[in-house]
Amino acid sequence: MGNTSKAAKIYLVLIFVILYAPIFYLIFYSFNSGGTMNEFDSFTWEHYTAVFSDTRLIMILINTVIVALLSALISTAIGVLGSLGIVYIRNKSLRNSILSLNNVLIVSPDVVIGASFLILFTMVGVKLGFASVLISHIAFSIPIVVLMVLPKLQEMNSSLIDAAADLGATRRDILRRVIIPFIKPGIFAGFFMALTYSLDDFAVTFFVTGNGFSTLSVEIYSMARAGITLTINALSGIIFIVTLFLVVGYYFISQRGGKNLTGMGIRK
Amino acid sequence: MKEIVRAAVAIIVVCIVLFITNDYLGKSANNAGSDTVTVFNWGEYIDPELINQFEEETGYRVVYETFDSNEAMMTKIEQGGTSYDIAVPSEYAIEKMKENDLLLPIDPSKLPNLKNVDPYFLDLPFDPKNEFSIPYFWGTVGIVYNPSLLEGQTFESWDNLWDPSLEGKVLLVDGAREVIGMGLNSLGYSLNSTDENELQSSLEKLQSLTPNVKAIIGDEVTQLMVNEEAAVALTWSGQAADMMWENEELDYSVPEEGSNLWFDNMVIPKTSANVDGAHAFINFMLDAEVAAQNADYVGYSTPNTAAMEIMDEEVIADERFYPTEEARDNLEVYKNLGLEMLGHYNELFLKFKMGDN
Repeated sequence: MGNTSKAAKIYLVLIFVILYAPIFYLIFYSFNSGGTMNEFDSFTWEHYTAVFSDTRLIMILINTVIVALLSALISTAIGVLGSLGIVYIRNKSLRNSILSLNNVLIVSPDVVIGASFLILFTMVGVKLGFASVLISHIAFSIPIVVLMVLPKLQEMNSSLIDAAADLGATRRDILRRVIIPFIKPGIFAGFFMALTYSLDDFAVTFFVTGNGFSTLSVEIYSMARAGITLTINALSGIIFIVTLFLVVGYYFISQRGGKNLTGMGIRK
Repeated sequence: MKEIVRAAVAIIVVCIVLFITNDYLGKSANNAGSDTVTVFNWGEYIDPELINQFEEETGYRVVYETFDSNEAMMTKIEQGGTSYDIAVPSEYAIEKMKENDLLLPIDPSKLPNLKNVDPYFLDLPFDPKNEFSIPYFWGTVGIVYNPSLLEGQTFESWDNLWDPSLEGKVLLVDGAREVIGMGLNSLGYSLNSTDENELQSSLEKLQSLTPNVKAIIGDEVTQLMVNEEAAVALTWSGQAADMMWENEELDYSVPEEGSNLWFDNMVIPKTSANVDGAHAFINFMLDAEVAAQNADYVGYSTPNTAAMEIMDEEVIADERFYPTEEARDNLEVYKNLGLEMLGHYNELFLKFKMGDN
């Protein structure tokens, strides 16, 4: 950073202001007693108490988090195994076609995925609810995880594995002690990507929620029909602050461990 | 490897804790009864306190879900996989759902509170004898405007929208039936016209409105009007009531040539797993005090005469939202025009939107 020019710094600051301004604007008005986002009347906590007194909203929030965590975890596991499989396919054209199929799923519109899942679930007779939402979130997260893990596997030098084998490592040892540690940044990046995708997905989730199970994106969408109430601002504020604390906390833990787990940093 | 395993275990533990919290919240919120009633309603369309009150009074547990359009709701119900006991579609959707055999008949003997409903709102063409639906809220389509941004115009007639002084000031809602209907009404035709000549002249009339149109949008209308970024908008009475609640400058008017009268009714979808509970819920919502409290919270017009008696007189006397019966004679309910005609309406609306002169 030492030799960055002044213009570059200003540019960076500007970008961050643009990125964060809407969020802070929203949080600012969550303290407005006026009830609208037009002008600031006076300070109040009432919108925050409204969030906490609405049990249904809290349950929906918890549902959202559970689905995000579980689907990210499961899709990461499946995605990592999948990428291992893809990398060790010898036949080049087969490997490329599998990769293309993976990419097709990433670029397919959510609405198409959601509608297909709705039809599939009702045909098979799965009741819409927690399971259907979880399954579809896992499904659309796997291709993303694969895309995050695969480059790490491909840049791994195969002589590392040969060396390990020469030194007497079993296949299991190679996987546990050589391959997985090497691709760890990719695994974590995949996990967090899947987590974010699951948290903010609306279109797919909309089709497969039912029987009282709903997630935040779906709920806020139908709430917004009657105009954005400041309860939504307060809720968004809470989520933003919690996320901020998690990221900061994670940063300090990984600093103390002296390792970079996120995969966003530089590989040593 | 160790770190990954540790992270995975931590996530699973967090999930279990969250599961238990949710279970606990679910139980404390709904204390008794194993029977559930699943309600599928528009967003922000019920006072949440009433759900708790219903649970306490009847012992049923309520599972409440929301939707944002009739079409989305119908898709969910048609596909099955859910067990909605109550849904609240608008009149044309009820007609369509009846055709597609998605509704269960309603047993009036289980609804003693039905006597509270104004007979005017019963036995309507979209559901004769109320075999399948019971009124929830109703309203009109009209013009909401901001006198402080205008030069003394009022909107007793649709033609006022064509006034040259309104150039670039009018917002239209993005709905084919509403906009084409406005064109038809302004010429004195029926909202449900299927006459090709009438429809064409309505389109021509609408096209001459183009210079005045600022935008054709959806729910954003509320914010734009409240923030005084637009002066005039075509909208629904309930949405207008919301806007006027937030910005007292605004006024609402239903032009005298006539307009649309709409209803949102409670129905019991075929998917219902608890028909008794569904009847109990409908009966509860028809209770005078409950309906009054709900109308107060939601802001739309209630069809419940007993509720109107205990509501704030100022609200009931407001003819903009509770038009007199004579005024209502001018209003028309949408008929289900069939898929083909609806497609034609959409086509005309698209032509208007593209400014294809």
